Amino acid sequence: MERRTFLVRMTGFIMSLIGLTLSIPLVGYVISPAFRRQTQDWAETGSPDELAIGVPRELSYVVTVNDGWLKTTATKSVWAVRQPDGAVTVFSPLCTHLGCGYHWDSGDLTFKCPCHGSVFDMNGKVVAGPAPRPLDRLPVKVENGRLLVLYKEFKAGTPQQIEL
Amino acid sequence: MIRAVYQWLDRRLRLRPIEEMLLNEPIPGGTSWMYVFGSATLFLFFLQLITGMFLAIYYAPTPDHAYDSVQFIMSSVTFGSFVRGLHHWGASAMVVAIGLHMLQVYLYGAYKPPREVMWMVGVALFLLTLAFAFSGYLLPWDQKAYWATQIGINMIGTVPLVGDSLVRIIRGGDHLGALTLTRFFALHILFLPLMTLGLIGLHLFILRRVGPAGVFEERRAVGKSGAVRAERRRRMASEPFYPRQVFMDAVVMGVVFLIVVGLAVGLPFPLADKANPSDTSFKPIPEWYFLFYYQGLKYVHGPLEPLATWILPAVFYAVLMFLPFIDRNPARNPVRRPTAILLGVLFLVGVFGLMTVSLQEIYSVPTTNPSVVRGQERYAKLQCNGCHRIHGSGGAVGPDLSYVGRGRDRAWLIRHFKNPQAVSPGSIMPAFSLTASELDDLTNYMLSLK
Repeated sequence: MERRTFLVRMTGFIMSLIGLTLSIPLVGYVISPAFRRQTQDWAETGSPDELAIGVPRELSYVVTVNDGWLKTTATKSVWAVRQPDGAVTVFSPLCTHLGCGYHWDSGDLTFKCPCHGSVFDMNGKVVAGPAPRPLDRLPVKVENGRLLVLYKEFKAGTPQQIEL
Repeated sequence: MIRAVYQWLDRRLRLRPIEEMLLNEPIPGGTSWMYVFGSATLFLFFLQLITGMFLAIYYAPTPDHAYDSVQFIMSSVTFGSFVRGLHHWGASAMVVAIGLHMLQVYLYGAYKPPREVMWMVGVALFLLTLAFAFSGYLLPWDQKAYWATQIGINMIGTVPLVGDSLVRIIRGGDHLGALTLTRFFALHILFLPLMTLGLIGLHLFILRRVGPAGVFEERRAVGKSGAVRAERRRRMASEPFYPRQVFMDAVVMGVVFLIVVGLAVGLPFPLADKANPSDTSFKPIPEWYFLFYYQGLKYVHGPLEPLATWILPAVFYAVLMFLPFIDRNPARNPVRRPTAILLGVLFLVGVFGLMTVSLQEIYSVPTTNPSVVRGQERYAKLQCNGCHRIHGSGGAVGPDLSYVGRGRDRAWLIRHFKNPQAVSPGSIMPAFSLTASELDDLTNYMLSLK
């Protein structure tokens, strides 16, 4: 190989090596938090004994949200129903159709969504309207007499439940 | 493929003449490993530019969140600590590179006519680099950042007449806070980079108009016959910038990059505690390249203090800036510039001497006394640094011990170790059960801190 060609190729080689060594970490640096799942902690929402059997109640509670380097508090609310056997079912507060907030109609004992008229029964089953799936149930557990809920959000408008 | 694209573009944009202009710059006297420092500095500047842009992706310039966002980069972002390490060590490397570049230009007398303007633009670039270092140091908003900046700004306050106003303008108010952080941030990531890019452009434009200085004398041809000398001079004078000098520059860039990567991986730069304006016990240590100056300040007190805080620096920068007009000796060969070389050597001896003394004072333990070494080990074993701080490392619960040996005597220390509350009522320090020799070692170590 000619001396000149060697110098040119070596120069190119060194510069490519620097570029590569730099770009791989930088790409990882940019994309890593973008694909990291937000970790949510179990949040305490009160005592299950406060719930009357068969009467859904909206429970509001404060959670700490880890937003990158920012820690903020947000108020979340969920619908909780105490079943006859004592177990508590907790529903996400968002209608499975397009994510509106629904309410409990104590007259005809159904959850009603004001946006497009979806109606769910006490177990979350769709009774009427465009909702493609039952209300989303949230993980729930009772520890030391306290009701703990793990808040999650799901994609609206799909027949299957897809967690966000 | 690349060649085809280049030719396609060349047919339209006529790139060839530009390429030739850029690459075929003749270097008088030929290529040399002595000419690599400028491009090493330029390379490091671009490394800082790139890593800085990426750090800005997650950084938040507010006192509430700056520290948390840097913490987030260090702990939660993949390669975050590496990218910040590159930026931190890249800054140090850039100070070294620009220093070596200036030394080479000084040694070769390359600042002399017709390159006065290039030198002055270079000095301006050096000042911008220092401004980068100063403004960037505050951004992590930890104790080191806060207190080092506090001291730096207060030194500017010793300038007569305008000092107080200058300080207010730099801080953006009467105390170091949110307004200081945002203006330092804007300065660091917008004003300074654009000014630096502009001046680098000007520096290189002048270089291309005036041409590189090259060797100071064609000594290598001495002693040869006239024909040989003439032939050699012609050959050497015509060596172009490309490919050999470009290759040398690339090799040096590769080595510099490896060093910075090695430091970023091997010596991560941890955050201190979050900035706490009420914790006045924190004694910041400046970056190593300001240590000589930090040490010099210790020797000047009272009415002479302004001499060190601003008169000497101002005179130094003025002399540096106008060096081509102060040094009227036309010779470039160092052998024929004894005064300039002597002054240069004295300056270097002064800077490195002060730096060595400073490093010794900060880090070294008098190894002549093994008891002090054992005391230091005892200090580490008892985890005293959980509450106490020595030269910037350790907790802030108890008093800072960096200079404890100045204010306390042996008897007090021993009584204090035996029963802290007896001599310092209300102290929350626990009494440690130490043997007599352990107590002696620990006391000797404390007394060595001054």
